[in-house]
Amino acid sequence: MNQNVIELTNVRKEFVSTKHYPGFKGAVKGLFTKETETKVAVDDISFSIEEGEMVGYIGSNGAGKSTTIKMMSGILTPTQGTCLVNGIEPYKNRKVNAKNIGVVFGQRTQLWWDLPLSETYTVLKEIYEVSDEDFKERMNFFYEVLELEEFIHNSVRTLSLGQRMRADLAAALLHNPKVLYLDEPTIGLDIVVKDRIRQAIRGINEKYNTTVILTTHDLGDIEELCKRIIIIDAGKKIYDGTLLDLKRSYGGSCNIHFEMKEIPSAEKIQSIHNISDKMGIAVKKKTLSVNFNKNDFTVAQVIGKIMADIEVTDVQIKETELTDIVKRIYQNGVEAV
Amino acid sequence: MLKSFKIYWPFASNQIKANFAYKGSFYLYMLRKFFGMFIYYYLWMAIYASSTSDVLGGFTKNEMIMYVFMSYTISDIIMINISSDIGRDVVDGNVAMNLIKPINYRMSLVFRAFGIMIYKLVMPSLFIWVGLEIFKVTKLGMSVSNPVTILAFFISMFLSFLIYVFFDYCFGMLAFVTTYIFGMTIIKNAMLSFLTGRLIPISFFPAVVQKIFSFLPFTAMTYVPVMIYLGKYTGEQILLELGKQLIWAILLFLIGGFLWKKVEKRIVILGG
Amino acid sequence: MKSLRRYLRLYRIFAVQYIKTMMQSKIDFFIGLGGFLISQGAGIAFLYLVFEQIPSMKDWSFEQMLFIYGFAQIPRGIDHLLTDNLWMVSWQMVIRGTFDKYMLRPMNLFFQIVCEKIQMDALGELLIGMILVARAVSNGTVEITPLKVIFFVISVLAGAVIYTSVKLFFAALAFWVKDSSPFLTTAYEMADFAKYPIEIYSKPIQIILMTVLPFAFVAYIPSTFFLVNRNVLTTVGAECAIAVIFWLISYALFQRGLVRYESAGN
Repeated sequence: MNQNVIELTNVRKEFVSTKHYPGFKGAVKGLFTKETETKVAVDDISFSIEEGEMVGYIGSNGAGKSTTIKMMSGILTPTQGTCLVNGIEPYKNRKVNAKNIGVVFGQRTQLWWDLPLSETYTVLKEIYEVSDEDFKERMNFFYEVLELEEFIHNSVRTLSLGQRMRADLAAALLHNPKVLYLDEPTIGLDIVVKDRIRQAIRGINEKYNTTVILTTHDLGDIEELCKRIIIIDAGKKIYDGTLLDLKRSYGGSCNIHFEMKEIPSAEKIQSIHNISDKMGIAVKKKTLSVNFNKNDFTVAQVIGKIMADIEVTDVQIKETELTDIVKRIYQNGVEAV
Repeated sequence: MLKSFKIYWPFASNQIKANFAYKGSFYLYMLRKFFGMFIYYYLWMAIYASSTSDVLGGFTKNEMIMYVFMSYTISDIIMINISSDIGRDVVDGNVAMNLIKPINYRMSLVFRAFGIMIYKLVMPSLFIWVGLEIFKVTKLGMSVSNPVTILAFFISMFLSFLIYVFFDYCFGMLAFVTTYIFGMTIIKNAMLSFLTGRLIPISFFPAVVQKIFSFLPFTAMTYVPVMIYLGKYTGEQILLELGKQLIWAILLFLIGGFLWKKVEKRIVILGG
Repeated sequence: MKSLRRYLRLYRIFAVQYIKTMMQSKIDFFIGLGGFLISQGAGIAFLYLVFEQIPSMKDWSFEQMLFIYGFAQIPRGIDHLLTDNLWMVSWQMVIRGTFDKYMLRPMNLFFQIVCEKIQMDALGELLIGMILVARAVSNGTVEITPLKVIFFVISVLAGAVIYTSVKLFFAALAFWVKDSSPFLTTAYEMADFAKYPIEIYSKPIQIILMTVLPFAFVAYIPSTFFLVNRNVLTTVGAECAIAVIFWLISYALFQRGLVRYESAGN
């Protein structure tokens, strides 16, 4: 049994903001009054994550993902509830926690703008008190998986987005943290760089058994990396389970397109409709689309049944993608899917 | 003339609105202005108390008090920084963008400054000024300024605004040479506080220096309107000083146009 | 001890780097230096012109006034040189959420903030300050004894701590009001009062300068020890006490503010 690295219990975070009034009158009014409003960003969230797990933490914009990450990294203090990372509360023991975690925010770098990249790692080595041996070993590892060599002597401000992300990832990992938080690590990157980053993350997880929590809008990241996902919406946790289960329970539907040799007659169509009422069937000229749930039939069964009746020239199978499932969950909630 | 006023007026009115929108900072702004003025107020009080003569540099104590407050207030109203706008536009690469638009870059800047000036005139400065006028009559026992003086004062102040803004436009052209406009601004402010007579009236300087100053545009920025307000000039002198202000405004306008032509060529060749 | 060495080592890396970057833009350096030199020069010229008209001011001679003026610049310059980045907290880091990155590192936050910038413009203030003090020593305005030198160093350091504390206090307010730069600017402008003998101000202002914004202690009060041999305890001693108290208050406020920090994007 693995040990829990992260444990959130009934965590809630509120933000209080001052109201602003529009227009000239509003500005004058604002000189004299001050009203506030409270917004709940994270509402009663609990979950635990085991050592070495890679978990996708997803939700639509403003769902509270970043807020949760920031509480787990010690930047924000929860309004209620407790959050334990490696057995300590990050916001109470900021410095100790900081040594246990690594964080990458895709939108903004944590590197020093004016420093050459090589110098950045020297500084981080000092900050995190990394021994010379470990430093050498890890830098070699990063050179290999992140290919830092090509820009190691450039100053951070001159790096391209892809280079900067790789540099940021290495910076977050230099002290070999037990937990790695990645907030949109592949945002705005091209496919090649994206792939390299994903491979690096997987490599690190395998090599150091690092626990990874990944926030992203790119579900490709999740499919490539995570077995488990947690979905939150409007600050509440709405799903927590394996990716496979999610696909099975919400995404069992499958679409098969048949390209027929000739336009079928009316009777033929009728007989296809008669095969089973659990299949949704649509015919458009020479194309026949069958929609069904994989709990009812296997793909082979459906193809067999259709081919027995009709001469087919081409077959295309389309399973529901994670994107579609998640899109539906965002729009309708878990129950409705 | 009227047409171009219509085109550029939105630049001014936007600034007026934007300045009203900064709540809270208004009170602090007033407070800060008062601090600055009061340091010099107390300094002068101590200076007059230590002096054997009642008149220093041609100013009685009461006149000096008014001088300190008025020169501070007027500098604050008319000295609207447009060079920092230019600096920002250069860094952000907006200057080249402005060449594409069918508007005159300088005019848009001047009208933005004009908007801020109106805000400052109406909001903080009018309060301070009315307060000063009451203070002057009740506490200092000086007479109320007559309408003609006030009119001349306002005309002079408007000319001061033009002189300052046109000057600052020329100064802002330095943004094409150095990126460190913050440092340049500190130099400029230090020089101006001295050359305009805000720190100490021009009449305190040695005669030679005064002579040199009279050939520079800086005394036309704050010293002239304050002296008009204090009734230090006769009718003829007022006209002469206003004429000098007008000439400086035109001259600086022309210099600015000339500098811009040079810079524009550079932008077209090198890119903004 | 070990951790102190670590901090010093880090500071050296940043300082070297900062100087390297600065060397690439020497013109900017001279502009900044010149800016502060000219500003201070204008203040001195003001005193000079005034003292053309009067023999002394509230019993202070021109030379003594120059010493006070110069003495005030040194702690201010030190603070300006080393902790200028606190300004960024007041108007940028809290609003934009760039403060996040500091919170992710296992180091003292105050150190992390200040070590990122060395404001070379401050050399203008330091230079003027030292010239004026040297002048006062050379023309006998202040006597020089080993004890006075020691107290001078102590006083300058304590003065810098007072400046930094005031700056930290108002910068930390940003955790409550998001943009505290108007407050910080206002407080900092009060520091200009410190350049002259506080006896010239009215009672309320004197009280403010000795309590809420204790700028009277950064130069004028200790300078009376050096100029007219006032009791060291009530001058330099009081300055040190004020420095400690204000540092503790400001640092506590800063710590309290961190709990309230909201990052950005919410």
